Amino acid sequence: MTTKTRPAPTFAVVGHPNKGKSSVVSTLSQNDSIAVALEPGTTRHSQAYPLTVDGEVQYTLIDTPGFQRPRQVLAWLEAHSLSASDRAETVAAFVHQHRSDPRFHDECELLTPLIEGAGIIYVVDGSVPYSAENESEMEILRWTGRPSLALINSIGADDYSERWHSALGQFFQVVRKFNAVKAPFNQHLSLLKAFGQLEPAWEQVLDAAVMHLSDQRAERKSQAARLIASALEDMMGWQERRTLTPGQLEAQSRQALADQLRERWYQHQRQREQSLRIEVETLYQHHRVQRQEAELSWHSEHDLFSENSRQIWGVSRAYLATAGFGAGAVGGAGIDAVTLGSSLGTGALIGGLIGAAGSYFYGDRLVLPVLRIGALQQGLQTVSFGPVQDSQFGYVVLGRAVDHWWHIAHRNHAGRLPLNLEPSDSHWLADLDSQARHLIQSALNRCRKQRSLSDDQRLQLASAIEAALDRYHQWRLASG
Amino acid sequence: MPNQALTLLLEFDDQVRRDHHQPPAFLHRRDRRFALEATEPHTPRAWLDHIQRLSGGHTNAALKPLRRWRRITLGFAVTGTVLGIVTMLGLLYYDGSGRINVTVMLGFMLLQLMLALATSLQALVGWRPWGWLIERYLHPAEESAMAINRLQPQLMARAAHCGGLMFALAGLLTLLTLVVVRDLAFGWSTTLSTGADSYYRFVATLAWPWHTLWPAAVPDLELVSQTRFFRIEADTAVTAGRWGEWWPFVTLAWCCYVILPRLILTALSSLHLRLRARHVLTSHPGLLALRYRMETPEVDTGHQNTDVNVTPELAVNARLHPLPDSPVVVRWAGAGEASVPAQFQGHQQRLVVEAGGAASLAQDQTAIAEAGRHLSDDSRHSVTLLARAWEPPTAELEDFITDARSHWPANTRITLVPLATDPNQPASDQQLAPWLRFCERLADKRLYVARYSNVDATTGNGEALS
Repeated sequence: MTTKTRPAPTFAVVGHPNKGKSSVVSTLSQNDSIAVALEPGTTRHSQAYPLTVDGEVQYTLIDTPGFQRPRQVLAWLEAHSLSASDRAETVAAFVHQHRSDPRFHDECELLTPLIEGAGIIYVVDGSVPYSAENESEMEILRWTGRPSLALINSIGADDYSERWHSALGQFFQVVRKFNAVKAPFNQHLSLLKAFGQLEPAWEQVLDAAVMHLSDQRAERKSQAARLIASALEDMMGWQERRTLTPGQLEAQSRQALADQLRERWYQHQRQREQSLRIEVETLYQHHRVQRQEAELSWHSEHDLFSENSRQIWGVSRAYLATAGFGAGAVGGAGIDAVTLGSSLGTGALIGGLIGAAGSYFYGDRLVLPVLRIGALQQGLQTVSFGPVQDSQFGYVVLGRAVDHWWHIAHRNHAGRLPLNLEPSDSHWLADLDSQARHLIQSALNRCRKQRSLSDDQRLQLASAIEAALDRYHQWRLASG
Repeated sequence: MPNQALTLLLEFDDQVRRDHHQPPAFLHRRDRRFALEATEPHTPRAWLDHIQRLSGGHTNAALKPLRRWRRITLGFAVTGTVLGIVTMLGLLYYDGSGRINVTVMLGFMLLQLMLALATSLQALVGWRPWGWLIERYLHPAEESAMAINRLQPQLMARAAHCGGLMFALAGLLTLLTLVVVRDLAFGWSTTLSTGADSYYRFVATLAWPWHTLWPAAVPDLELVSQTRFFRIEADTAVTAGRWGEWWPFVTLAWCCYVILPRLILTALSSLHLRLRARHVLTSHPGLLALRYRMETPEVDTGHQNTDVNVTPELAVNARLHPLPDSPVVVRWAGAGEASVPAQFQGHQQRLVVEAGGAASLAQDQTAIAEAGRHLSDDSRHSVTLLARAWEPPTAELEDFITDARSHWPANTRITLVPLATDPNQPASDQQLAPWLRFCERLADKRLYVARYSNVDATTGNGEALS
């Protein structure tokens, strides 16, 4: 058990208005509800975003308003200071004197955390030219005497970061480039570590926080795999059912009934897929993602059920054949066990061939579920549609889910652009290791036969999907 | 007595299933909090008690599958009892014309012993030849994935042993009843060329376990010799009285080789079930996940603070105005520092002053005073204020304009001209929007915004932002 001897470090994110302070805080605190707008004065009050581990604050980021009257503040400070040794006290005196003065509301808000001991994270926009008017702000910050780090955030497309770097270097201990919208996760961690290096007492705390965040991210990936596995199981095994009297059954044509049930079946599958999307987004604390998805209707461009989706996310005949070989070989191994191995592996070979042939047979087309009318029981008949009899459907669902996961997992919380899920054009699953392929294939087969998975099988499916997530990430990195 | 390991497994499995649809973050928070606050060891039982206490008490819903197995066991027991009575009546059927063959009785006991051992063996190796029967008639589909399914061989063995035990006990009671109420004539017979000596040694060996407890229940050589009977009956008047003396041996053999093994195997099956339930629980995926949640710190990145800034009003009502030909140009905060367009360069009729940015407040005052003097000499009371389009208007600019108004002629028209990074390119709508909103906020009727473009000097005449 550790005893806290000093308060957790606090970092005030300060700067000129409209330079992305809130974006930096939004990304580092994984909070997409912070108002980020290209409008000066969007942030009017300081707001704390603590990182807690088991309820214990590790560090706190404070989003602050931008400087509005830095030259007046500096003039006041210079007029009330006698020597360099009283500068920090003078800044505190300024805040105390002007706390209720509306003209210096923003300055008091941003300076208050600093006089209370916060470290300085000064944010500038590296995509616009350096401006000397920032120097009065930087000078005020220097007067506080707090440990400081400058961040060159790039909001626009141009790059003036070199000029900024050399100018900031004169005022701040550390200068880092950090794109709040695009920086990958490892850069977030690297930046947090840099915060820790501002003062020796903070290093250990920030290192521990980084470790916790890394672990949290790894766990989120595992959880995402479990969520996808669960949705896959539901969707592959879904059967739409209706119970009718013989009179009702005769009143409508078989085709009309099939159409009706098919539509409900599609509707359910789409809803389940949407709920998976929301679950994954919630897991990664993205609550306001605007997803741009193609209209989910039969044969539309990116529809879950369309031919196009099948071609993009479905797997090749060869893939299905090899995945099926594994599934069949397991059955064949059972034959070996029964014959006490006397067939010397022949069982496995036969099972493999049968499995491969079955998979190859399915491999070329998306076989639709069929309408089944059950026997008359107590004057009622059950009509059912589904489950889908083609494992390609499972691969389409899986491909789309993995692609969505990847975009969400790599999206920074400062990002406000809509998420466009454009399908990729390569069968990335082909590179998945054979064991994971076999696990996925056998789980899909079991689900479409409406045989529920045991806990162990669920765990194995989730681990195979996690391997697929890793594989997809590598494929994305490789394809740039 | 309820099997605690089994009920624990069922309750745990049920809770894991309930948690299946809960958000992972919630589960982590709940279980980590339990781990941090609990004073007792973090066992599944303690965790379940904690969860159930918070949910308002314990429910037996999770034990529903166990009740089904209790009914199955009861069915086996009742059937065993009935079969035990019927079977013993059949074995001891005696109409006075023949003898009850002790060899047949011993053979039946051996069969019972073999069946009991086979039942236990089946449970040990987990073989379920009757599995399809359970799944088809006794087992709801929704329970197919439950942890209790992995205990089917052990549960079935326990039920079968209970049935076997009841069979044996009912058989014993029937035997004793018949001994009391009827005159049973036991004998022994075999087609094999076995002599009385050999048969005596055989039964003496079987009777060894109780030979000191009840010597009368150990047949002697004389009894064995006298009670042998053959298909073709000889005159046996001398030995007729001894036919009934076999009953103590038969009774104790039944107790020793049928009841006792069943009793032991029933107890062992319960123990096996308990051990197996414990094993299933320790390897339960839900337990692994629970331990992970309890051991892993809960990290909150501060994402739940939503009470912060309200998104500002971004609508723009003001319109851009035409670029004026002003006698005074103010370069605010270094605007046009690198290159200022010719339209804003100073000459005899146009004064260019600098303010804001790196200039001091005193320099701002000087610039205002200079501009005021120049405006009083010129009939065009118009000032163009150049600014950097990408730097948003701050309160310092507001102060400057307010201050300037008090020094300049009252009807002075001030036009803000935000310049793009490249001054020769027009500023974008996105860059101009904050300036228009700034203009609206100040509510100054003679304050305007214009867009500079070197292509068309009239650009911005009454133009609205797209």
